[in-house]
Amino acid sequence: MSISVFEDDHFDPLLVIEANFDGPQGPFWAQLEAAIGPQLREILRYCERPAGRTGETFDLITRPGSKHPLAPFLEAHTVTPMIFHQGNRGLDRRRIDREAELFFAAQETLGNGARYHGVDAVTLHRTLRSSLRGTFDWLGEPEPVRIPGRERLADLAKLAGFAMVALLVLSFPGVLLALIVPNGWVVVSVSLLAALATGRLIKDLPDLFRQFSGSAPAPESGPPPRMRDAFARDAMKSAGSTVGFVRLALAAALFLAVYVALAATVFGALVAPLTPAPFGETIAASARVFALGLSSVPFSLCAILLWLRRLEDRDPCHDDPAVRPERLQDMMRREDFIAQNHMGSMVLVKPGLLRAVLIRAGLSGLALILRVVATSGYLGSMRTIHFAHWAMVGNGSRLMFFSNFDGSWESYLDDFIEKAHGGLTLAWGNCVGFPPARFLSLEGATHGRKFKNWARHSMATTLFWFSAYRDYTVNQIERHARVASGLRQPTLSPEEAIAWTRDL
Amino acid sequence: MDQGLVIPEDTRDATKWGLSPRQLGRIQGLVVSGFGHLPVTRALFLKLDRPGGGWLKALEKVAPITPATGRLNRSTAIAFTCAGLKRLGFSDTADIPAFALPFREGMHQPDRRRRLGDEEKNGTVIPGGPLWSGDPAATPQTVHVLLLLYAADEADLADWCAQVMATLEPAGVSLVRHLDLSLRLDPDGRAREHFGFADGFSQPVPYLAGPDSADPGGGHAARDPWHGVPMGEVLMSYTNAHDEAAPAPIVQRPADIAAKHPDLKPGGAPEGFLDLGADGSYLVVRELRQEVAAFWNSLDVAARTLGCPGIDADWLADRIVGREHDGDLLCPAGAHKTVNGQPANAVGFFREDFHGLGCPLGSHVRRANPRDGLAATEADRSALFNAANNHRILRRGRKYGETIANRLEDDGKERGLLFMCLNTDIVRQFEFIQQTWLLNRNFAGLYGETDPLLGPKGPFTIPKDPLRLKVEVETYVKMVGGDYFFLPSLPALKFMADLT
Repeated sequence: MSISVFEDDHFDPLLVIEANFDGPQGPFWAQLEAAIGPQLREILRYCERPAGRTGETFDLITRPGSKHPLAPFLEAHTVTPMIFHQGNRGLDRRRIDREAELFFAAQETLGNGARYHGVDAVTLHRTLRSSLRGTFDWLGEPEPVRIPGRERLADLAKLAGFAMVALLVLSFPGVLLALIVPNGWVVVSVSLLAALATGRLIKDLPDLFRQFSGSAPAPESGPPPRMRDAFARDAMKSAGSTVGFVRLALAAALFLAVYVALAATVFGALVAPLTPAPFGETIAASARVFALGLSSVPFSLCAILLWLRRLEDRDPCHDDPAVRPERLQDMMRREDFIAQNHMGSMVLVKPGLLRAVLIRAGLSGLALILRVVATSGYLGSMRTIHFAHWAMVGNGSRLMFFSNFDGSWESYLDDFIEKAHGGLTLAWGNCVGFPPARFLSLEGATHGRKFKNWARHSMATTLFWFSAYRDYTVNQIERHARVASGLRQPTLSPEEAIAWTRDL
Repeated sequence: MDQGLVIPEDTRDATKWGLSPRQLGRIQGLVVSGFGHLPVTRALFLKLDRPGGGWLKALEKVAPITPATGRLNRSTAIAFTCAGLKRLGFSDTADIPAFALPFREGMHQPDRRRRLGDEEKNGTVIPGGPLWSGDPAATPQTVHVLLLLYAADEADLADWCAQVMATLEPAGVSLVRHLDLSLRLDPDGRAREHFGFADGFSQPVPYLAGPDSADPGGGHAARDPWHGVPMGEVLMSYTNAHDEAAPAPIVQRPADIAAKHPDLKPGGAPEGFLDLGADGSYLVVRELRQEVAAFWNSLDVAARTLGCPGIDADWLADRIVGREHDGDLLCPAGAHKTVNGQPANAVGFFREDFHGLGCPLGSHVRRANPRDGLAATEADRSALFNAANNHRILRRGRKYGETIANRLEDDGKERGLLFMCLNTDIVRQFEFIQQTWLLNRNFAGLYGETDPLLGPKGPFTIPKDPLRLKVEVETYVKMVGGDYFFLPSLPALKFMADLT
């Protein structure tokens, strides 16, 4: 949890209380009030009285000697992030503490390891388990599932839903055309020709394709080829073989069929009462329209990209924003005391219709993808993030970012630049002053120094910060979990045992 | 201690990274070569008692700063702390802010000290705190200039130093401290540091990247697949790992002064701007004292405590360093075979030694340059390898003090290493290595341990199947002093000589 005050030339200072906690919101605010209520009340007294409905509540809680509960007021002023990543997903605080305790007890038992010289891994596991069972009786319980099937399904369904809505929006020109033009072939050819014509106007479109198509497979030995992006590798992995390609094509076809069926049913149901035609015919006609509409998705994409590139070419950047030395000192003085660090940043969102749509679509899409993809406790090859989230504040005029991460700020930003610049550019590229990007995914954050300057400039000093487990990195928590998971098993196979002992 | 003692006949120096004679004529020789052919060195730490750069003209007559072209039988390198630049006559308000922040703040700014692990409570600094730096508030001795004199033998060096000091003292330059450095080669032609490890094998190899077009006549230097780094990582104004010209201090001067230094005019800049950084670099200097007898005695104790057959002090020391005494990298099968008489260096860790069963995950060489070893999966390998290569430094250190006669007996003499390295982004290169790799308590999935050689006292894990071994290691390397220096190009040095 953190408290910081964002100051800026464009708006009054903004007090932000950021919290990452287990369980529902209501009890959390109540517990927080029980813990530091008087201090919070004192802090709130420094604030402006909010306009709108919470003004009266504010008066009530800041009156001299007031005992009025804070929780409802705080809850009313809560913003849920558009996108968040949780490291060590599925492990709550209690479990993290418990497994850490077990890990250290195991370390204590093993000592310097010399006593176990020549013992095989299976025996080692059995010995350790029997000596720890007494103290840790929960080792006998079944292991709680980290991400329940229901949650996983919901994540997948949400992502599918998002993709369908995106398809619907992108196929809008084709749908219109299909409603007017009776001949399907004409619709398709016109749409594809339009896409071709628009695509040709985007000079550097090939760069975008190059980004998403992998290069040659990695060599058997020697250094890996210098590849610029993790996306390319992922694309390569999934589309690496013919079987994979066929699978992918089948899945895509099935998805499109489901989309057309769904869209037609919903649309048909809506217009059926308005038309004299039988219900079946309406559905069939709408299915035809939506299926034909799909042919205009390439055109819509090209049109959006063309518009975006025009904006990007003219967007002003902020290569070297001045960070006040005393503010920088203030931040530096508070960093690098424990295993983790904290940062909060606030930036302005670029103006205009396209940016307004893209930032929301980009953040929600990225959020849903993250939920589906980042299930291992890590975020791709970045293994240092406990909590990171972006939220839109000030009626969508500003984008706020908070992160609790392992290691130094510099190394965290270097990780962004070296391992996650694509995602970062997608998330932050719609904000004022961000380093020049192309297609909202190329370059941008790869301008390392400019990006660091920009990020530092957008930050506020974290005035209050609490970390529940100061010494554990994301990696270490996963390591505790693996050790605990092994110790819960009555026996391990030789291979499992060897893999398990490597974490000790 | 991987410290870049320079190997003589270093074939890589002969290619000069594809730079042209014109470019090499502007660059200080120390950048492209460690002067391996000149085995004795004296490091003179100087203080400027009078403002102005006139003394540089006097110095030019007795010890001209060596350019990067050819070999000489005497060579000189020079670098300045921020306090030194101010004393030369750079304006505190207009000129100094153009330099990089870490250089301006110095190595001993309290937050920086914390991040670099240079706090006394860690036991990594000599008792009583560091002796020297560029910051009068931080250390008893203040250093403005580091002058390095390289010569072929002791007698010549002694004569030359006397001559240099006789020239400088009347010009208002006094000697604060000096160190005699040496490159004593063993019969096998390898230099060993005081603990007895051959070293200096793994260096980044700069190449011209991005829009830096090689001058005609520079030849073409291909990118070394394992150790290639863009030129801008070691020389300012060239393209660096972030695909931009490495930031360099650019100062403004009236047209008449600027006209005197056409060599410093940055391309395309308006009149009156001078690029003082181009072809220069930042030099990180740390004097590290080594307690050799304590090191070996404590390893004897550690080996006895373990009590495993076949594990002695030498075995433990190899694991701590990550190399065998002769410099060969450890691997699960023992050690990598030599290639053309040199230790193999074109190797990674990911495929060869993923779990650190050969070269321990927390060993000094793996922490100092993890290569592709931090990747968790084959898919991450290239990203992690490229990322690691964005944090390389070019090492130019040399040892000081005599070799210990009996490694188990403390003879009361001081010995150690003057660690020196070149980089253009101190925070992303030197400091990153020190903080995020060497002293990171959570490096590569380890917990609660730092670099066994340079870090504070603590545990050190040696992965083995089925169970790791752990030994408690003390601190045998202590920082005596150090700071960040600006290593100017030869044209910039001429500009500095004109300052008043």
